[in-house]
Amino acid sequence: MTAYVEFKNVEKAFAGKPVLKGMSLAVNKGEVMFIIGTSGVGKSVTIKHLIGLLRIDAGEIWFDGKRVDQLVERQFAPLRKRIGMVFQSSTLFDSMTLAENVALPLRKHGKLGHAEALEQARVRLAQVYMAEHADRYPAELSDGMRKRAAIARTLALEPEVVLFDEPTTGLDPVSARRIDRLIRELADTLGVTAIVVSHDPSSIFGIADRVAFLYRGVVHVTATPADLRASPDPLVQQFITGTSSGPMETPGF
Amino acid sequence: MIARLGTSVVGALRSARDLWLVLLSTLAGVIRRGGAQGELVRQMHAIGNKSVLFVVVTLGFIGMVMAYEACNQLSRITGDYSAVGSQFIRLIVSDFGPTLTGLMLATRVGAGIAAEIGSMKVTEQIDALRMSGVLPIDYLIVPRFIASLIMTLLLSVIGALVMFGAGGLTAEHSFGVNPSIFYDFTYVRPRHMILFMIKALSYGAAIPVVAGFCGLRARGSSEGVGWATTAAVIGSSFAVIVLDFVISAAALFLTGGDL
Repeated sequence: MTAYVEFKNVEKAFAGKPVLKGMSLAVNKGEVMFIIGTSGVGKSVTIKHLIGLLRIDAGEIWFDGKRVDQLVERQFAPLRKRIGMVFQSSTLFDSMTLAENVALPLRKHGKLGHAEALEQARVRLAQVYMAEHADRYPAELSDGMRKRAAIARTLALEPEVVLFDEPTTGLDPVSARRIDRLIRELADTLGVTAIVVSHDPSSIFGIADRVAFLYRGVVHVTATPADLRASPDPLVQQFITGTSSGPMETPGF
Repeated sequence: MIARLGTSVVGALRSARDLWLVLLSTLAGVIRRGGAQGELVRQMHAIGNKSVLFVVVTLGFIGMVMAYEACNQLSRITGDYSAVGSQFIRLIVSDFGPTLTGLMLATRVGAGIAAEIGSMKVTEQIDALRMSGVLPIDYLIVPRFIASLIMTLLLSVIGALVMFGAGGLTAEHSFGVNPSIFYDFTYVRPRHMILFMIKALSYGAAIPVVAGFCGLRARGSSEGVGWATTAAVIGSSFAVIVLDFVISAAALFLTGGDL
């Protein structure tokens, strides 16, 4: 099976400090792939490369049979229509209502008129149970509500791939499981490919098809959740059990 | 030591190149009419209306101090106040009006723009804009650029009038200078008015570009926003002073020193 999204020997450094050191990862179409690892190991950095928010120093990135790491900013526009991203913080625009926030990509990417985009935005908000808050501003809402609206904004363009950057961080357990269920449903019912950066064991072992464990700038292991749990690898065991002492002496690097 | 110096020079050159690219992208955005109409009105209110009191108060006080000092010096030398008002307004129109207004706006508006854009940068809202198909410069800097051009010119006119008015009142009440003598526009020529407009528009263009550039370079968290805000105030104030020097020097050169 040809990978739908593929990172090949990707390298990235910030101010001379290497973060990714030849990282390779293949994600299949319709798969829910979790990327896990300690803070600062480069999980968010990895997914941002796919949509050109960051540029790799070396290596290759492929999406749907085309190399995308060499595209210029303007050429990323059609790609960002096909690949959506839910950021770690909600990233809603404070000066816009929720409906206006969701309508923005519909107007810019989808080329819809203002009224039509707003109408569709309300439908999208209803899908995440936020219809009654459509005319409110982000500052008036809780973190969980903002996160749901941000997901509605991302899904408004019906992307083929959705990147989730710690989607359940900061949410109460009920809201977190609802987000998990939404991700799983996207993959199962719409065939959406989801790449999820997460630290949340309930999410990882609840909805992932496969898990990539990032360590020292490379993918240390890729496995199903069950195989990961059963892995004898002391690094993996230390991470999934959350033990403070073990071979993972220096978190991240 | 040499390596560190080289790194600093390369960094400074890269920053200058990036600033230039932001300016070019902003001008391109203006040409393709980037930015929303509503946002332009909002920015004109934020940059213009909300700065009126600040500009009026500061330039009013500066006008009072300058007129007082000018009259005070004249009283010690000749006691002839007949030319103080006409020379004062010539100086205000050709330099102090737009430049002092520009400096005031560099602090108030520059800090505001950098803080707002910097906060959006560190909270990934700029990335979210790019994901939504929006060019961040079109959305964030172009409306501020156009608003700043218009409002800096208007505020410079208001500031200059207040400065002259306050100076005249001070001269009258402190030194008994007749207002009809003080409020004399004889020495203000069209070239001074052109210089006034060029300076005001240049400052109006420089402040949002420099401040926006600093905001877009914010990194990390609140500390990064603080750094961006400080850099924006310093950078845009510096830009006003450098532009004042360059434009004044060019004007002197073009008029053969008869400005």
